[in-house]
Amino acid sequence: MVKRVTCSRVVVVSLLTFAIIGFGAESSRADAAKGKSVFEAKKCGGDCHITQGPATEKTFADQLKKKGPELWYAGNKLKKEWMEKWLQDPAVIRPLEYNSIEKKNPGNHPKLSKTEADEVAEYLMTLTSKDVESGVIQANKNIQGKQAFEKKQACQACHQIEKTGKVIGGLVAPSLVKAGERLQGDWIYAYLKKPKVFKPVKRMPVYEGYLSDVDMKNIAALIASF
Amino acid sequence: MNKKALYVIMIFAVMMTLGKGISYAVTAEENYKFYCTQCHGSTGKGDGINVTKDMAVTPRNHASAEDMSKLSDIDITNAITDGGPANSKSPLMPPFGKTLTADEIKDMVSYLRKLCNCTGGK
Repeated sequence: MVKRVTCSRVVVVSLLTFAIIGFGAESSRADAAKGKSVFEAKKCGGDCHITQGPATEKTFADQLKKKGPELWYAGNKLKKEWMEKWLQDPAVIRPLEYNSIEKKNPGNHPKLSKTEADEVAEYLMTLTSKDVESGVIQANKNIQGKQAFEKKQACQACHQIEKTGKVIGGLVAPSLVKAGERLQGDWIYAYLKKPKVFKPVKRMPVYEGYLSDVDMKNIAALIASF
Repeated sequence: MNKKALYVIMIFAVMMTLGKGISYAVTAEENYKFYCTQCHGSTGKGDGINVTKDMAVTPRNHASAEDMSKLSDIDITNAITDGGPANSKSPLMPPFGKTLTADEIKDMVSYLRKLCNCTGGK
């Protein structure tokens, strides 16, 4: 009798768990679909954000006509929780306007409501690239990564970073201050390793051959810890 | 030789010529504008937008005949290809050897010589 009760309980709990998981997955899919509708209704695509991969840019003009970063691998690059917050209150990431080396970023990215932001984030998380392997990079303030980032290649020439409580660095590239809240380490590594998959035409040099695989992993882990 | 084979050879020859750089013909001036001006400035005076007061060293003034004549063409080629450390200078100058082709770097050296209106040291 006791065994039968215990067994029934196990069955009930299992069914409930499956139902909750199933409902959760169904709900995520529904939110992603709603997010896609919001994204399209607000005209976030077009020249602003490309959502269809792989990358097709071949010339400087192809890159320069884009008004914002491509998002066709956003689900690998960005963190969902960060997107949900940022889309409601977009703070400047690039000190300069996208693609500009002259104009200050006006910080005029459209704001979304909480519901819209959650749905759009859910949608963007569905946009992924086969070229990003999951579970390779763990955030880690490692000294080897710092050495490679600051001394071997001096990434701060173009990227802002926080150093002893002060923001320093160049203005052309996206700021890396608190980048760990925004970026996924696995994508940072993939981007360093195979930059042309994600951005065939860009101002940042290709580091393959100048940074070892270990350097790239260490730098990715370091940036993910910012 | 039939036409089809000729087309294949022509396409192959174009691909070989373009090499690992951007996949279309770009002038040195266009490359300079896209890659170099962010630090070296639009007229090459070393006053690009990345040059903040925190930058440990000032980028090379490409318009200065005095500065640039101290460098040989090989020094410049090495700096563009492998970055500042190739000439015992700062890593703030990154390597472009996997971004530009050898021919594009050669053209860039000539372009820099026009900017400084000078020839190289030995």
